[in-house]
Amino acid sequence: MRSTALLNKASRKRTPRENVKYFWRKNRTGWLFVLPLVIGLGIFTVYPMIQSFIWSFYNYTGNRLYYPVGLGNYIAIFTRDSEFWRVLGNTVFYTFVSVPIALVTSYLLAVLVNQKMKSVGAFRVLYYLPVIIPGVVSGLLWSDIFAYNGLFNKMLGWVGLHSDFFNSERWYVAIGSIFLMNLWGVGGGMILWLAAFKAIPSQLYEAARIDGGGRVQQFFHVTIPMSMPMIFFNVITMLIGSLQFNGTLVFAYEGKGENDSLYMFAVKIYNEAFKSSKYGYSSALSWVLLFFVGIVTAVCFYVRKKVFDWEEG
Amino acid sequence: MQQALFNKKRIAKKELAYKIIINMVMALIAVILIFPYFYMISKSLMTVEETLSSEIKLLPAKPQFGNYMHIFGDKGYGAALLHTMEVILFNAIAVPLSATFIAYGFARCNFFGKKALFAFMLSTMMLPAVITQIPLYVLYAKIGWLNTLLPLTIPNLTGGGAIYIFLARSFIQSLPADIDSAAKIDGAGALRRFFVITMPLLKPIIIYMLINVFTGAWGDYYGPLIWRLDEDFPNTIAYKVFYLLQNKTVAADMVNIRMAAGVLMSIVPGVLFFVFQKQLIEGVAMDGLKG
Repeated sequence: MRSTALLNKASRKRTPRENVKYFWRKNRTGWLFVLPLVIGLGIFTVYPMIQSFIWSFYNYTGNRLYYPVGLGNYIAIFTRDSEFWRVLGNTVFYTFVSVPIALVTSYLLAVLVNQKMKSVGAFRVLYYLPVIIPGVVSGLLWSDIFAYNGLFNKMLGWVGLHSDFFNSERWYVAIGSIFLMNLWGVGGGMILWLAAFKAIPSQLYEAARIDGGGRVQQFFHVTIPMSMPMIFFNVITMLIGSLQFNGTLVFAYEGKGENDSLYMFAVKIYNEAFKSSKYGYSSALSWVLLFFVGIVTAVCFYVRKKVFDWEEG
Repeated sequence: MQQALFNKKRIAKKELAYKIIINMVMALIAVILIFPYFYMISKSLMTVEETLSSEIKLLPAKPQFGNYMHIFGDKGYGAALLHTMEVILFNAIAVPLSATFIAYGFARCNFFGKKALFAFMLSTMMLPAVITQIPLYVLYAKIGWLNTLLPLTIPNLTGGGAIYIFLARSFIQSLPADIDSAAKIDGAGALRRFFVITMPLLKPIIIYMLINVFTGAWGDYYGPLIWRLDEDFPNTIAYKVFYLLQNKTVAADMVNIRMAAGVLMSIVPGVLFFVFQKQLIEGVAMDGLKG
């Protein structure tokens, strides 16, 4: 009864005033539900983004008086800031080495615990345990293990070696130590791979076996293509996360490491903003970081498109 | 016949050997991954002299359980723990409530701008947090939010992050819509349909959110680090551990006490993990598979 009445009403030509009323009535429930999100995005995302973009063209340091400097901040970043290239190099190296390491090691571990054995359940839980430890605690623990007189150096000492790990002046040693520490959390990636394996129908493997495909071929022709969406999504989030990595704040000397060997992009922004109060300059830096994140994301999407086209074609 | 039986036996033997080797490899990896825990616990029970000695000791001569009492004594961890619990309590209510509320709008209502808003929300997941932090810091300074716990709590009233809303939306969409439409025909308003009919069905995803909210706030040292003005900031436990680690020269705290705090900080999420293993792992899988 009510619905037919509505239909009649809808088919009749409405006045503009009625149109607005109708539009409001049709949408108000949905809008009510997403209202908190709209407010939240407005205050905590859109406003700060616009503000930081504007500030990136000013020499704002928190004082009431500040002047536009045009592209000055950006030019200074790329030409005058001696730390910038160092920081960028460290971050890029960290990102593009740690993500493949994490993918491969967690895949190998997932294969190991994906067998038909009773014991694997317990081992999965044990492997996942380090993942739930708060980052600050694992920083505490590993800087102790990596200390000058620490456990690792004791073990290295048995074969006559010694390393400064996080305190090394050489960036590849210091960042390499983070890779070592990150291996502890390999269980996180393992869980994702296991979920991807679970979603692959076993018939596909059977078909591959009947066609004479060995383990390696099964991996490249069944496992990889079938877990592509999951790998893709996780590679993107891992890359973006690694570009913004600031965990070095916890364990690096002054958050930078000796000789800036652990100085990361996000930490640099933190220092410029909250230690030196250079809000304009650090805003420009954070837009440069967003630019790199954007490039990495775009490349990922481009590669995915290529891969999918290639698979379909 | 004889030959076949022999072959079968040989295969069984081979399989057994394979199983033993694989189990040994798995056990070895487990020992390596668990060892740092053991080391941390052991160190938390040592005396200061033992932790400082250049010889590596795997076990304390006499376990100093008193170290754990120090955490709650004059070391300031007690107050920090209290602040952390305040943040967690607030967020544990705010995030599931607001995230499922918003998600219901996306999953069950049609409205102008839905697709655009959803796409925009998802794109914020890729936005580096540092971009918004600087203007927010200045804003919070103006409205007097620095040196309080408000920046760690109030923003969570708006969904607590795109990922939670996304997961809750997928979850609601996977539920049959019939109950909802039936209630609608019976004259239940949208709010009532959400709180009375949909909300109770969301238990698994809410549990997943609760655990993540808990572990997130529990280990968050970065938030308190940014939103502080001076030493009057209400410390959280993660920040306290961070601070003492970064300022090793502060003699107020020795390695053993710090390790004890570390053990305490990992025990709580550890217990949560063991209790809610299933929901957590399924949630992580859901998280990862949405691609």
